[in-house]
Amino acid sequence: MKAFFALFRIDMKLALRERSLIFFGYMFPLLFFFGFAEFLHADRGGAINYVVSMVLTMGILGNGLWGAGMRAVQEREANILRRFKVTPITPTPILLASMVTGWLLYLPAVGLVLMLARTMYGMAPLAHPVSLFAMVSLGVMAFRAIGLIVASVVNTMQETNIAVQLIYMPMMFLSGATIPITVLPPSVQTFSQFLPASYLVTGFQGIFLRSETLAQNWAPALAMLVTIATGTFISTQLFRWEKGEKTRKSAKLWLLAVMAPFLAMGA
Amino acid sequence: MPPPVQVQGLTKSYGDFQALKGIDFEVHAGEVFALLGPNGAGKTTTVEILEGLRPRTGGSASVLGFDPETQKQALKDRIGVCLQDTNLPDKIKVAEALTLFGDFYERRVDEDNLLKRLQLWEKRDVFYAHLSGGQKQRLALALALINDPQVLFLDEPSTGLDPQARLEIHALVQDLRVERRTILLTTHYIEEAEKLCDRVAIVDEGRIVAIGTPREIQARTMGHSTIEVLCEKPVPEGELPIWTGSERVALSADRHSISVTSRHPGKTLVELVKWLDERGIELADVHLKRPTLEDAFIELTGKRLRE
Ligand SMILES: Nc1ncnc2c1ncn2[C@@H]1O[C@H](COP(=O)(O)OP(=O)(O)OP(=O)(O)O)[C@@H](O)[C@H]1O
Ligand SMILES: [Mg+2]
Repeated sequence: MKAFFALFRIDMKLALRERSLIFFGYMFPLLFFFGFAEFLHADRGGAINYVVSMVLTMGILGNGLWGAGMRAVQEREANILRRFKVTPITPTPILLASMVTGWLLYLPAVGLVLMLARTMYGMAPLAHPVSLFAMVSLGVMAFRAIGLIVASVVNTMQETNIAVQLIYMPMMFLSGATIPITVLPPSVQTFSQFLPASYLVTGFQGIFLRSETLAQNWAPALAMLVTIATGTFISTQLFRWEKGEKTRKSAKLWLLAVMAPFLAMGA
Repeated sequence: MPPPVQVQGLTKSYGDFQALKGIDFEVHAGEVFALLGPNGAGKTTTVEILEGLRPRTGGSASVLGFDPETQKQALKDRIGVCLQDTNLPDKIKVAEALTLFGDFYERRVDEDNLLKRLQLWEKRDVFYAHLSGGQKQRLALALALINDPQVLFLDEPSTGLDPQARLEIHALVQDLRVERRTILLTTHYIEEAEKLCDRVAIVDEGRIVAIGTPREIQARTMGHSTIEVLCEKPVPEGELPIWTGSERVALSADRHSISVTSRHPGKTLVELVKWLDERGIELADVHLKRPTLEDAFIELTGKRLRE
């Protein structure tokens, strides 16, 4: 517990000292927001809700997948994690601190987007702000958890980029996050059911477009929770402190296990 | 009380390559012990096995009574470590790093005192990336001391530092020795081993080729002392005698200085001085050159250390 708070404090400080946080964390979502809002004429006919839901989903995917992986991989490559390996701590506080930091730092971006949508594009006040907050939080943490798994499997920054792209792209275009799922061919629609991002999109659409509560979207919320729990657990199993460390065989089995719930839910 | 560090028949293979071929040694409480050896000898492999960082292939090891492979957590809480290859995040400040690592241990010492002791007090708000090599190394030592460990592992603590920074590290190790902490360090600087350590093990190609106090190791090798005398006036013409223990005698061209290599420098010197005295020759200067640990090292391993 002491180790978690110590790591969390340092993670926050280090993140706030990175200029890329401002850029990728806050500028990017805003660029997309204004881009989509103007392109889709969001000031007319309620399209703004659709824009907000899309921008937040993209942000959560990006923040989780890229944000979680980058630092872990960088620190392993630079022999920084080795130094932590000779202390009595386990991977758990490291991973949890990274997850909580990512979540906290993403919240201002959410607030910013909602405020701009409300003031500039006349979005109606949120029917269930707490539900939205909960869904955003679950989403960020779920994708952080997936990002951490990726980070423990890849070895270099280049590999991280490739692996994250491979996950990010299908999730962006096949989950309904950007292109409405109904225009996709039926086979792709089936595939989409297996993507964690689809659940996030479904949850967002329920809360945003249909003014539902979190309780009414319990299935997507549960999917996120399951992702967080299994993802975090697996990343503690796969965690590697050093470049030279090989992924344990038992850990690879756990990786398969994470897929299982989604296969089950998709089916 | 058993020795805090015990290693028996330790082996380690990386794939087909045998990095350690059976290492045995003990480090006693309060002792400074060095593993001295050339690149790739297996020094880092040995200490990192003891720190619980790498699994061993065979043999047994115990540190403070813990098995480094099965009792990692308990062990890591009690030891201090300075790794050979490591870093901290660029944008962490000196004092922050110390606070962070302090929170990982059950027991911790006062950070401010530690910063002052390692002359980092003025640098406490400086980013890690902006520290000099010597300052980074002092911070590494501060981190190793944050949990007030009884046993310290220092892997090449002074490598790559300028002479001034190296002396600072030496002074600190000497302080830690006075505090009766047990220290296992690795080095490829002979002077360092000679100056800091109670005992040294010379490691080469995964084996210990000699172990003992620096003096014992010097004595055990065949490297012999050389006596050099400078005379006030030239030595008279004619053959020089064979003094007890002498092996090689050389006379300079001006017949003013004699150099004798000997197995028994004490006896040789007495006889040499007597011989000169009998001929009414006064001594201007005398030198006795003992074999160094370096001579011993070269003789034992057939190698020079990198420098
Ligand atoms: N992870 C590894 N995988 C494969 N071989 C390794 C690994 N680590 C070390 N070795 C090999 O084992 C041998 C011993 O390496 P080690 O790092 O212990 O030497 P060292 O005495 O510390 O050398 P140096 O003075 O350069 O630090 C070397 O030949 C090295 O190449
Ligand atoms: Mg080494």
